[in-house]
Amino acid sequence: MKKLEAIIQTSRLNPVKEALQEIGVDGMTVSEVRGHGRQKGHTEVYRGNEYTVDLLPKIKIEIFLPDQLVDSAVQSILKTAKTGKIGDGKIFIYKVDEAIRIRNEERGDAAL
Amino acid sequence: MSENATSLPSEQPSLTDACAAQFSNLKAGFEAKGGGIQFLRLHSAHVDSVIRALYATLISPQVDAPEGLCLVAAGGYGREELFPFSDLDLYFVARDEPAWKPYREPIAEMARTLWDLQMRVSHSTRTIEECGRLHSGNLEFSVSLLDVRYLAGDLALFERLRSQTILNLIVRDGNDLVRNLIDITSERHAKHGKTIFHLEPDVKEAPGGLRDYHVARWLARIGAISENRRWIGPEGAMFDGQKPTNIPGQTLQAQQAFEFLSTVRCFLHFQQGRNDNLLTYELHEKAAALGLGVNYGESVGPAQWMRNYYRHVRSIQHITTHAIGDSLPSRSSLYGLFQDWRSRLSNPDFSVLRGKIYPRSLAPGGWTTLLSLFEMMARHSLELSREAERWADQSLDALRAPANEGSGDSILSAEVWPALRRLLALPGTADALRAMHRLGVLAELIPGFRLIDALVIRDFYHRYTVDEHSFMTIQTLCELRRAAKETDGRADENFGAWRRKFAEICAELEQPELLTLALILHDTGKGMPGKDHTIGSLEVAKSVCARLGIYSADEETVAFLIGRHLEMSATVTRRDIFDTETLRSFATKTATPERLKMLCLLTCADINAVNPEALTPWKAEMLWQLYAMTANYFSRSVDQDRLQPADEAVAISGAALAARGDPTRLKAFLDGFPRRYLAAHSPSEIGEHFEWAQKIAQRPVQVKVRRRGAFNEITVMATDRPFLFASVAGTLAAWGMNILKVEALANRSGLVLDVFRFHDLHRTLEMNPSEIQRLEESVVDVLSGAKNVATMMKGRVNPNSLLGAKVKIPTQVSFDDASSSRCTILEVIAQDRPGLLYRVSATLAELACNIEVALIETEAQKAVDIFYLTRQSAKIDHSFQRVIRDALLERLAKP
Repeated sequence: MKKLEAIIQTSRLNPVKEALQEIGVDGMTVSEVRGHGRQKGHTEVYRGNEYTVDLLPKIKIEIFLPDQLVDSAVQSILKTAKTGKIGDGKIFIYKVDEAIRIRNEERGDAAL
Repeated sequence: MSENATSLPSEQPSLTDACAAQFSNLKAGFEAKGGGIQFLRLHSAHVDSVIRALYATLISPQVDAPEGLCLVAAGGYGREELFPFSDLDLYFVARDEPAWKPYREPIAEMARTLWDLQMRVSHSTRTIEECGRLHSGNLEFSVSLLDVRYLAGDLALFERLRSQTILNLIVRDGNDLVRNLIDITSERHAKHGKTIFHLEPDVKEAPGGLRDYHVARWLARIGAISENRRWIGPEGAMFDGQKPTNIPGQTLQAQQAFEFLSTVRCFLHFQQGRNDNLLTYELHEKAAALGLGVNYGESVGPAQWMRNYYRHVRSIQHITTHAIGDSLPSRSSLYGLFQDWRSRLSNPDFSVLRGKIYPRSLAPGGWTTLLSLFEMMARHSLELSREAERWADQSLDALRAPANEGSGDSILSAEVWPALRRLLALPGTADALRAMHRLGVLAELIPGFRLIDALVIRDFYHRYTVDEHSFMTIQTLCELRRAAKETDGRADENFGAWRRKFAEICAELEQPELLTLALILHDTGKGMPGKDHTIGSLEVAKSVCARLGIYSADEETVAFLIGRHLEMSATVTRRDIFDTETLRSFATKTATPERLKMLCLLTCADINAVNPEALTPWKAEMLWQLYAMTANYFSRSVDQDRLQPADEAVAISGAALAARGDPTRLKAFLDGFPRRYLAAHSPSEIGEHFEWAQKIAQRPVQVKVRRRGAFNEITVMATDRPFLFASVAGTLAAWGMNILKVEALANRSGLVLDVFRFHDLHRTLEMNPSEIQRLEESVVDVLSGAKNVATMMKGRVNPNSLLGAKVKIPTQVSFDDASSSRCTILEVIAQDRPGLLYRVSATLAELACNIEVALIETEAQKAVDIFYLTRQSAKIDHSFQRVIRDALLERLAKP
């Protein structure tokens, strides 16, 4: 069982979501986040007031998957989130010890 | 549990079974007939009999004994309104402490037994003295005493409790009780977004719910008891019973609403098996399939059933609002003084008394007077009295009479739209529109609004009905308008720090009323099933604009906002807003900075009205960034995007203006104007400019002054010449006019078109219409060399004395060489003051700079002047940019 965390461009959320649903990933947690990697942002001026856009808006997707689905999920994200520009984001994969469904206390892959 | 079971009397198992059987019978009765009130009465009677039996077994076999102790039902149970699985409030009231001490254990035993019988008893023991004190920390207890009912024990003690103790409490502390009750009601309403139109409402706690019905009853009873100084039962003091202005229909409607909601609440509790009052989507469907509270057993559609729900809730909200309003004046003398001060707001049609508007005449009014009632409400945040509501109702009946002969979409008289537009951009516009909707005025003006009356559209995001969502959007604008006047710059819980920035945009709008109209209409298409709602809303907007006789350019703006109302949100969430192509495409769609401002605010309001958490600071920031970048794009790209004779836009304008003259000449006239010229001017204005251009050889300077709402506008056409821009700016300044906005454009043949919007500080033109012609002549004289603008300016008083500078804005001068291929862009930001633009433009002219395009804006006291400059037909080099900067800073620093 793995946790897959992807930081992507806000504009790519729908295509990524649809692609994941196509391969059978139905559940996900989506958050509106800000941050920067190597793409450090820039400075804008609006009517004489300077403002720095250093933390750029991004979307964070968190998915918990059985091991056999991880590769296809990664491929789906890579295919749909890539625009080829700086700022396309990153994918992180973690090991997960256990999952428990609160309603009926199912455990393991069955709880996903 | 097992411990309790051993302590039960031997006959207890049969009592448990009997209770369960009786509850099942009552439930079956409810399910067969669907009558909530009947169930409540029978359920209360059943519980009464169980409690009396236990009292006889555990406390006293004699029903009116022992002396000095009685058992009373309170709260909902006291009113004989005991819902399934609800708490039942029981008080053991004792004459004094020694009177109840011997019964401590039997009382505890009785409570345990009731719990074991599945009754959710909430009991306490109080001395009669404790009952007579106001418990401000436990208001529920004091309020629940209003509904006490005798169950068993010392009857004389109960009579003393009711007719002396509680009566004295109300007479002595009634004002505090009322104030606390209103405060907690207001907090409860705030928790539920202050609206009745939730898609999944709480039938008890939400505004217009059962709790509100009881608040109205309690307030009426407290008032009646205080006034008459005798105990009055719930049946003796209905909401308006003591008021000469009582409208019997309202009380009846509220009672029917109470019966409906009681039935719904019983249904919810049975469905959930617990005290859960949330009317979820799933339960709407079940209730509608049963025809619950309508025609039991006859299925209706969920949407229709919910409309019925909102109709009932609205009538409870109505009587509660009036009950609270009637009780408010006694709150404090300071509040009363403030309300009395507002009496000064009275006018010949309406008087204002204690924060409420009353009609001066009982004769029905026409549209203008009727709308002025709501304008008064919106302008001064006042409320309508019952008399004003009745007058509005009668006026509406009179107005409907002739309209009934024709179509509901017939054209209204010319004074209606000016009267309506006045109330669309005021601090209390949202509340005034809600009142208009409640009284049927809005649907009469805008028949399409009926389509979304209490309309439920189910999705995971929207929390309110479609009509309320629209009012919420307008409320967001009203809040932004208020925020623009605040100086503390505080952050809002959902807007975050971005609230201030949207508020600034809101304060800059030239025609805020058009944005409000677009918000009223933007979702009306949701009432047309099977159709793209934007297309449906555009159809409604078209007929409404025709009905109200709205000027075609304004109609276009409204149609633009409705047609594009999802565009900005879609761009923010589905496009890369930092991509230049996205920006260019979005800017092309929005066309002008003014429309961009309106669309940005519409989007912000639309998202914020979906639910209280929808506009996260994250989204607000994205929205504002797209706005700021597009606004910058407009000011930086104007020079790059000029019209060509072969452009499609030119062909379209040519077709529209075919009657004005030769199409080839029109193409030559448009050639080289920035593209925004077509978006910023109506076809009739372009036609007029074109006609002027044809006569430019005979009349080298053409000038026209027009009134535009609260401002004036002067349009000047001339062949390009040195000091042209500075001369017009100087002439206006010499006349005491404060320039707010300028668009200075030129076509390829060197024909200059300058449009100055200005504020007539001394109302010279308004008070003396003949001065308009003199001003026009003055501009012609200056431009033709007959008068010298510098001489005219010398006679002016110090212009700084005319405007009090509340905020100090330092002067900034910056250059941009990159955005235009042909010009250097100069941006000057400075404290706005009369004559400022003349100083800047005269300095530029003296330095032999040619102004190709000028875009001048004023935000509150900040002037933002953007000039596209050339010198000797080329960009300005860096060393000369320094010369210009120094000259401008020096000249603007002078007083």
